[in-house]
Parts: sequence; structure tokens; C-alpha cells
Amino acid sequence: MKHRLSLIWPPLLIGALFLLAWQALVVIQDLKPYLLPAPSLIFTTFITNLNLMWATGLYTATTAVLGLIFGTVVGIVFAMVAQRFFVFRNLMIPVAAGIAAVPIVALTPILNNMFDITSRTPRVLITAIVVFFPIFVNVYRGLTEVAPVQMELLRSMSASPRTVLRVLRIPNALPFFFTGLKVAAPLAVIAALVAEYFGGPQEGLGSKIASSAANTAYGRAWAYVVVAIIVGLAFYLVTLMLERWTTPWASRTRSA
Amino acid sequence: MSELAVHAESVWKIFNEGATNEVTALSDVSIDVRKGEFVSLIGPSGCGKSTLLRVIADLIPATRGTVTVAGVTPQQAREQHRYGMAFQQAALLDWRTVCRNVELPLELAGWDKAKRKARALELLDMVQLHDFADHRPWELSGGMQQRVAIARSLATDPEILLMDEPFGALDEMTRERMQNELLRIAKETGTSVVFVTHSIPEAVYLSNRVVVMSPRPGRITHVVPVDLGDRNEDTRESDGFYDAVTAVREALRGRATPVGEGGARLAETS
Repeated sequence: MKHRLSLIWPPLLIGALFLLAWQALVVIQDLKPYLLPAPSLIFTTFITNLNLMWATGLYTATTAVLGLIFGTVVGIVFAMVAQRFFVFRNLMIPVAAGIAAVPIVALTPILNNMFDITSRTPRVLITAIVVFFPIFVNVYRGLTEVAPVQMELLRSMSASPRTVLRVLRIPNALPFFFTGLKVAAPLAVIAALVAEYFGGPQEGLGSKIASSAANTAYGRAWAYVVVAIIVGLAFYLVTLMLERWTTPWASRTRSA
Repeated sequence: MSELAVHAESVWKIFNEGATNEVTALSDVSIDVRKGEFVSLIGPSGCGKSTLLRVIADLIPATRGTVTVAGVTPQQAREQHRYGMAFQQAALLDWRTVCRNVELPLELAGWDKAKRKARALELLDMVQLHDFADHRPWELSGGMQQRVAIARSLATDPEILLMDEPFGALDEMTRERMQNELLRIAKETGTSVVFVTHSIPEAVYLSNRVVVMSPRPGRITHVVPVDLGDRNEDTRESDGFYDAVTAVREALRGRATPVGEGGARLAETS
């Protein structure tokens, strides 16, 4: 426990010093909120609007989770097909790279037109597109980069390709999957938030940040930014916990 | 024929046959391994000893020649789990406990859960790792991991054990202990062993016959019979041991009389 505490206090101290310096800068230089609001203002806005902050954060988080799940499932399925069927391999890797290169800022208005703008669907799709690539690439690597000696071992036991998948490839891919998910989870929050800038329902963080800033409510805009950071961090931490829980072997030294 | 664990006749293995990067890994190799016999394959890198082992195991096909393993084709032997295999790396699956690693071949052979667990614990008993059944592979030392790998290779009670430098990565002390353990297990189970190694003393200590191979193209040059009776720690310091080591060393240098046309067939050696 003492050990853990000693790991936690340095970043906390740095964070506190940073906020203190920020507060001092705003007070001493008498900066106007539209330039830079003081941490105290952001904090009081955050606390007095706690229910609203929670509801807004939850709305965007829900979009992000749905997109994350959808993109992850598609990424895993693509990776498995690419691993299993040689003909698809050379087809899917460029397709995946193409999907990764899609500019979501440009795509959002198009999807908003294609689907019902009042629904969550276009945003979930945007998020899924962003999530897809890191999941696909990492899971594909995990499924294919298995130790040759373990492949020989399973062949000596006359394991079918399906058994190899179950016994070796999928467990081998799990740590790779989590590497992808740790990238994809915070990205999902950002994608969901950015997608909200382009019209549609106004409940989300992206809409609220934009409208607060437009209404010169800078303290509130920044408070929403804080919520976005918290949601992103929460996504990352949940992924980290899932990883620790499901792949305890990955953090240890690997056996020969 | 049924007295033979492995029978290979005029086996050729040519990689990329017909192409410019053609490599003859095995050239007219013939070898017989009797039931219960311990045969080592020794030779410099590239002499085809691992290739020969892989042909026997049906991990790669022979280009020409016939191979019989436990009286059937290598493919049938593999599919019927007639042999067990161990490699230089223990190749344990990190996400499985030690016990479930040993159960793996039984799982693939379709044993039910209770039976395979009982069998795995029995095998772990034999390699003296019973207390580590629920540990994860990474918690074990290299020697212990290799013992788990040996237990796993014995899981289906195979007639033949194929081992590719299984002690190559271990320190000398552990290595000698593992050799004694392997001999004890082979004797207890009556398993025939084909053992690939780089080490002359190891080959001599373990084997009934040491098959010496040479590279470019990979072929059998000598077969050195070793008759030291039951091995114990004194064996390593006996005159007979040193004589056999010298004989193998001479053979590796190409100074002893080579075997004739028939390769390592029994006719020449027994």
C-alpha cells in the first residue's frame, strides 16, 4: 500500500502545482474568462451543474460505448477472416488502411444526411470507423504472430485449424487486442464528441461545449472539457482493468 | 517390422527442388530405431538432424523414400497420437496452468475432463512437479518448464518420443539432472526415443546408439553403438564413457570408418 501511495503522489503534486500556477496567472494578470477562465471558476461551474455534467457526459459516453463495441466487433471479425482465408488477406489490409484514412470531420455531415440526424446512428458509425483500425491491426497481428514452435507442437498433436484458433491464436491475440483497445477507447470518446459538432441531438458534450462557447459561458465550456477528459480517462482505466483481469500472463515475463 | 519404432529407408528431403535455391537437407538417409531403444542424432548445424526428426514427426514431408513410425505412416502416427514431441523451447502456453498445459494433448485427443486431469497429475508426479500443477508456466524455472514439456509429450502414453535439443537451453547442472530423469522415465514407460543434440557427452550418456550426421548434403556418416549398461553418476566418469565420447568425436571429425551403403540399418550395427 505504501508502495502504491508513493506512485500516486508525484503526479498529484504536479497536477496541484499546475492548477495553482494557472490560478495565479489568471488572478495576477487579470485574464478575462474568454481568454482563459480560472480553475476556480471551472470548478464552481462544474459543481453547481453536477447533474447536467453527469447527464451530458453519460450521453456522449453512451455513444462512444456503442461505437466502441460496434467497431471492435467488426475489427475482430475482419481480422479473423483475414487470418483464416488467405485470399482476403491482401484485400482487407488495404481496405482497413483506407478506412483508417477516412476523414471523420468530412464524413460526419454526409452520414448525418444518410441516416436520421435526430438519431444517434451517424455518431455511433463515426466512432466505430475510428475504433475499427487499431482493433483490426492489433488483433490480426495477435492471431498471426504465434511462435513457430507452438505451431509445430500443435501440428504434432494433429490439431485442426479450428483447434489452433481456439487453443493458440485467440489467447495469443488477447494481449494484442488490449493494446488496440487502449488506443481505441479514448479515441472513441473523442470521435463521439467531434461527431456532435455537426448538428443532431444537443445532449452531448460536443454540442454543449460548442453552444456554451457561443453563449460566452466559458466557465461552463471548460467544465464540459473536464467532463470529456474524465470520460476518456474512465474508458482507458476500464480497459486497463479488463486487461489485467483477463490477461494476467501478458504483464509477466513470457516463458521460453 | 512391428519390432521397429521408426523405420526410414532411403529418405531424401530436398527444399525448393528444381529452383535455384535448392537445398538437399537429407540425402539417402536410412535408419531403424527398435522399440525401447534410445537413439541420438548428432552433427554440426545444417546436417539435417532436425529435418530428419521433423520428417519422422510428419511436420514436413519427405521428398523421396519411405518412413514408418510405430508401424504406420508418419501422418497416421501423428493423427493417432503415437508419438510425443519436445523442443528446445518448452513452448508452454502462458495462459494455461501447468496442469492444463500437460492436459493439452489429451484435450486434443478427446479425453474427458476428469480423466485428463487425473492423467496430467500422474505425469506431473513423474517429473516431480506435482506441487506446481496450479502454477503458471512463467513462475517456473527453465528446467522446470522443460520438465513440464516432457510430461506433456508423454501425456498420450506414446510409443515414441521425438526430442529436438530439449536440454539445449539449460545450464550444465540442470542438464545432467534432466538427462537422468529422462532415462528413468524412458525406462519406466518403455518409450523409444529419438533425440537430437549438439552435445557429444549428452548423446553418449543417453543413447544405445549415436547416429552421426554431416552436412552438405545432410547424411548419416557413422553409427556409434554405446554399451554402458544402466547409467548412474559414475557412468559419466567411466572409461567406457570416455571411449564412446572419443569414438563419437572421431566420427564427427570424419576419422572413423564410415558406415556403408545401408546407412544406419540394424544389419550393420547389431
